[in-house]
Amino acid sequence: MGIEALAESLGKNILTTSLGKLVGWGRGNSVWPAQFGLACCAIEMIATATAGVDIARFGSEAFRASPRQSDLMIVSGRVSQKMAPILRTIYDQMPEPKWVISMGACASTGGVFNNYALLQGVDKIVPVDVYIPGCPPRPEDLLNALMILQERIKAQGILPRQ
Amino acid sequence: MTDTISRGVTVDRTGEAGAFGGELLTINFGPHHPSTHGVLRLIVDLDGEQVRRLKPVIGYLHTGIEKQMEALRWQQGVTVTDRHDYLSPPINNLAYALAVEKLMGVEVPPRANALRVIMSELTRLSSHLVWMGTSGLELGAMSMLMYCFRERDTILDMNEEISGFRMHTSYIRPGGVMADSTPRFLEMLDQFCRDMPGHVDEYEALLTNNPIWRSRTIGIGILSAEDAKVLGATGPMLRGSGVAWDLRRSMPYSGYENYDFEIATSDMCDCYGRYLVRIKEMRESIKILRQALDRLPDGPVNVDDRKMLPPPREELETSMEAVIHHFKLFTEGYSVPPGDVYVAVESGRGENGCYIASDGTHKPRRVKFRSASFVNLQALERMALNHFLADMVAIIGTADTVLGDCDR
Amino acid sequence: MISETLIVEKGVSAGDPWVTVDAPKVHEALAALKTEGYTLLVFLSCVDHLVDASRSWPARYEVVYQLRNMETREQLRLRTFIEGDPPHIDSVHDVFPPANWDERETYDMFGIVFDGHPELTRILMPDDWVGYPLRRDYPVGGEPVEFSEEHEMWQTAPDKA
Repeated sequence: MGIEALAESLGKNILTTSLGKLVGWGRGNSVWPAQFGLACCAIEMIATATAGVDIARFGSEAFRASPRQSDLMIVSGRVSQKMAPILRTIYDQMPEPKWVISMGACASTGGVFNNYALLQGVDKIVPVDVYIPGCPPRPEDLLNALMILQERIKAQGILPRQ
Repeated sequence: MTDTISRGVTVDRTGEAGAFGGELLTINFGPHHPSTHGVLRLIVDLDGEQVRRLKPVIGYLHTGIEKQMEALRWQQGVTVTDRHDYLSPPINNLAYALAVEKLMGVEVPPRANALRVIMSELTRLSSHLVWMGTSGLELGAMSMLMYCFRERDTILDMNEEISGFRMHTSYIRPGGVMADSTPRFLEMLDQFCRDMPGHVDEYEALLTNNPIWRSRTIGIGILSAEDAKVLGATGPMLRGSGVAWDLRRSMPYSGYENYDFEIATSDMCDCYGRYLVRIKEMRESIKILRQALDRLPDGPVNVDDRKMLPPPREELETSMEAVIHHFKLFTEGYSVPPGDVYVAVESGRGENGCYIASDGTHKPRRVKFRSASFVNLQALERMALNHFLADMVAIIGTADTVLGDCDR
Repeated sequence: MISETLIVEKGVSAGDPWVTVDAPKVHEALAALKTEGYTLLVFLSCVDHLVDASRSWPARYEVVYQLRNMETREQLRLRTFIEGDPPHIDSVHDVFPPANWDERETYDMFGIVFDGHPELTRILMPDDWVGYPLRRDYPVGGEPVEFSEEHEMWQTAPDKA
């Protein structure tokens, strides 16, 4: 093969990019959520995974039962004072890089329950990347949050979390 | 002696000898486990694979709903009732609304009653659909989830049409319902009643004679009728043991005595029996929906009491009195006469009751929800003993506990 | 109906019949009612009558037992009043097994001690929780919010509420 032919064939098969973009693209399109349901929002989270809304279009249909295999924690519902340490343990068990979506009003702020039993916002114990309003949010809202998160992951690349 | 596998998960060696020459192991199951229907935690003593002791630990979803309601006015409390048993919000609303109405001595108009029945039955259907989808998923019938959530979405679309909200409708309120049904809702309901029997046939085709489903459920989790009665089980847990007790028939409310339906029972007493009961209940619910739709009476949907419900918008522009009533209702609320009352309704899980004590002020003194899951879960130990650990998933599944309902 | 010697007072509240018995006789009364056909304890709970002006209450805590006869579909509410710190009452889990968790919940939420209960521990709140949340002098808690009308009063000074 002559050198010119080689250059031509390489031009058809090689894409130049930065490593960060490549890693970001890979991570962003295969975000595996932890299968972590808490309350009402968990039902809408399940609905997001079913055929009608189909989270698989965004590469996130693999809900992992083990936190060791997941990248994303969707805090779907109210977090009680009794559940808070367990939630933090599960978050700690997830390998880096990891992200958190706070799904619904209760997870984000305590929602309608401003009382002794609930953690008033899950951001008191884990860092949250995207908040979704709604009680519970529609499945489409969760998809939207996932898309916002994907943009962030792609922008983040291989850099450590800010 | 404790082997720490990872933080939070421990296996204890009890030192007690098992029946197979080994030693009993204590393991922790949940609260974060994909097949516990939420955040239920079980401490299980295992002999090999068999369950020898079992202790449920609840409270991981304790929301303080009862305390919250003491701090809210009577009409504000409705929004909170939605969220305790989050698979059947209108039925919770109904229990609360009926209790408040009984204390105030208010009767709602016939159309409101019919709409309440329609919403209750739609909710029962959607609750059973979620149950069947998730239980199917746990026992290896993954496609059930897709089928069941398809129909559930149709029901949620109807919720949205009538109340503007998919899940927590707050549609049934003390004094009536939120708003009259729209013509489009009635069309959707009509279509739904036509389609749904065929869909139930589909589920049956997938599960009823499915060898895997049958071998995972038949003979598993036996709860005899005697035990069920003694342990206070209600709903499909009781009817699955052959006791024909359904509050809609036994102690009718909201005009259920006028509908023609059968109480679904099964004498099998096991997980399969409870499955059959739920399938039958879905068919009966469709029958009730059809009757309610055909006989939907005309008329108002709210009591004509300006002290309890706000005046219509157009009256506010012409009547000074209406403005005063409106202002009073939204700043102070109404007061309910002193006394206490208990009202029970049948939810998808069993008896969902509301006990209210009023001290005559504009806020409740005490609201207590009697939740079916809380009581039914106590029967879990009786059902799961000496079964395999994997069968416990089937038992938890068919007990259909909702932890929000259980912990409140 | 159980013998009149046990009943202190009886009446009907919004259509629900109720009877009041003395606290030490609750176990005896419930066992008698069970033999009379009230086989289901629907629920057991408590009402805190702290600063309740609607009538004069014999004591601060009212323990409520809702019973049902599954054959005749009759319902009966048994009430009893107790005082003390902590208030004590006999456990009825041996008469009605479902009372087990209900009594634990009432202990967890109101701090009522059920004598003779096999495992009287917290059930809904964490084991190390301090206080009894459903007592009327326990604040609702949470965080102060703007435009909350009376809620701040509830969070900070519940005894005035």
